[in-house]
Amino acid sequence: MTDTKIDTKIVDVLAVFPDLEPAANAIEQLRTLGVHDDCMNVISGIPVTEAMLGRPHQWTNVPRIAMGGAILGFLGAVFLAYIAPFLYPYPIQVSTQSFIPGPPTAVVLFELTMLGMLLSTFLGVFLDSLFPNYRPMKYVPEISDGKIAILVECPHADEKKIMDALMKTGAESVRPAEAQHL
Amino acid sequence: MSDLKQHKDAAKSHEEHLREKHLMLDPLPRGKMNEMVMEAMMAPPTWKWWLVFTLLAGFVVWGLFYKWGVLITKGQGEAGVMRPDYWGIFLVNTVFWIGISHAGTFISAILRVFRSEFRRPFTRAAELMTTFGLVQAGFSIFMHMGRVWLAYWLMPYPNQRMLWPNLHSPLTWDLLAITTYVLGSTMYLFLPLIPDMAMARDRSTGWRKTFYKILALGFRGTEGEWTHLRNAMNIFAFAIIPVMFSVHTIVSWDFAAATRPGWNSTIFGPYFVIGALHSGMGAAIAVLAVIRGTMKNMKYFIRPEHFDAVGKLMLIISMGWTYFFFNDYMVQWYGGDKWTRQLLHFHEAGPLGWLWFVMLISNIAIPWAILWNQKWRSTPWLVATVGIIINVGMWIERYVIIPISVTINRMPFTWRMYTPGIEIPMGLGTVALFILLYMIASKLIPLIPVWEVQEGQMAHAFKKFGRETVVTVSELE
Repeated sequence: MTDTKIDTKIVDVLAVFPDLEPAANAIEQLRTLGVHDDCMNVISGIPVTEAMLGRPHQWTNVPRIAMGGAILGFLGAVFLAYIAPFLYPYPIQVSTQSFIPGPPTAVVLFELTMLGMLLSTFLGVFLDSLFPNYRPMKYVPEISDGKIAILVECPHADEKKIMDALMKTGAESVRPAEAQHL
Repeated sequence: MSDLKQHKDAAKSHEEHLREKHLMLDPLPRGKMNEMVMEAMMAPPTWKWWLVFTLLAGFVVWGLFYKWGVLITKGQGEAGVMRPDYWGIFLVNTVFWIGISHAGTFISAILRVFRSEFRRPFTRAAELMTTFGLVQAGFSIFMHMGRVWLAYWLMPYPNQRMLWPNLHSPLTWDLLAITTYVLGSTMYLFLPLIPDMAMARDRSTGWRKTFYKILALGFRGTEGEWTHLRNAMNIFAFAIIPVMFSVHTIVSWDFAAATRPGWNSTIFGPYFVIGALHSGMGAAIAVLAVIRGTMKNMKYFIRPEHFDAVGKLMLIISMGWTYFFFNDYMVQWYGGDKWTRQLLHFHEAGPLGWLWFVMLISNIAIPWAILWNQKWRSTPWLVATVGIIINVGMWIERYVIIPISVTINRMPFTWRMYTPGIEIPMGLGTVALFILLYMIASKLIPLIPVWEVQEGQMAHAFKKFGRETVVTVSELE
């Protein structure tokens, strides 16, 4: 009687490559082994574009968050420029000057719109990257020395096969990934 | 056959020459570059470093904080400001420091947008200048407030008496523009610093490890993190440029919006912006020369090619400044207004006329005489000296525009020569603080953005066109 129990445990494998070329080959090889793109993550010390490694397009919300911030900044400026003057106990009318003049209002609108956009862009990086994050993470310090790491999530049953494939494509080291404090 | 060999040898030596000259063509392994930057940052300070540090710190405590305390306690009468010179050196310094801050944005945003590769090793040093310069500008504004503890009255908030700041006043625009610029440029400094903080975290121990770990925010360099960071940096690079232009334009409107002789000029905005770049680039090159000359391993990263490139920009900016200066002068002179003519005569032939000539010599004659020559332009100490001279000239330019120009106005009974008092040590205190902040930063922050240098080196390659070897740059993004 054979054992029909399937090993469903998921493990992470971390392979470190010296360069882009073997890392790109390894990604292709992993795909042929049935590893889905969502189960791989490339970690590098410089920005490596998706096209260089043949990876799918990375989604980012930063531009949308920036746009949202710009709109909020603009609305804040509208409040200060158009509404605040009416909040005085009595309106301050200076001679024949218009109560809400155009050009000065443009300055306020511009500055606060830009401030909203810049602040939200910064915040967007934090939100999208889940910063700050001081929990243990799967990482090796060699990455910041210019190595390219591929973090693969796979069933325990396939671990050996995947580690062999990564080694064959030119990985300097392949090991089960362990989360550690950075 | 021997001709071919000779040609090959020549091509090889040409390549070697190019490698020696250009950082982007002379790559080292990333680990080695990390090591060099960390070594420069973590080298224990020498006694000379401590001596300079102590002197500067002492000057900051005395010149900036103690004198400021005296000013607050005894009142603005301690300073030389009095009718008609209400602003004096306080505002000269404010405009000067805001001008200095422009170089950081220019180098790291405009040059980034235009993919100027030579910018890569010194973007951080320049960005720091923006932040540190704006700190001094902020101090200079606050010093000038009689009751500085009420500075928050400028902020728009619903207060007890239902009074709102007048958002139609150039001074309130200043608040908005400078706040936007301080926050924007500090965030723009921090974003590309995150990967270098992670690099430093991976290579340090003890309190430094904790410090870098906190600032690295848990950055590992995943595809997602890089994508978010790159997008944000692109947005910042484009968005901070109009903010930079707006800041100094608005500063110029503090003057130009008044119907005073010498100030009421429609080209004051661009004239101030080009002046800001003029002083900013001069300060940037001086900072680069100091970093290169005093910090370990920096000669690899900051080379004569960088001084040459920034020197060219300085020359072009000097020409631009000359154009705007002459344009402003010419139209006012030609207008023939009685008071303006009197003011222009006072600039050139008044008791401080010599300052006006020093300004022109420092901002035009010296830069033009030296920066046209590539060899001189590539000599770090010489270009740095020109940079410092330009800064002296640009400080004088602001002195001419502010205290000297308000001396002559349409009410002759108010004419009075301005004599600065306590504002001199306070102003020098801001200079000391600026240098001090750089010294501290050089021990805490990787001044070279190593990942940006490596990215640039990856993008550069030699390519053969027939028998000619040329340098090509790939667009990696």
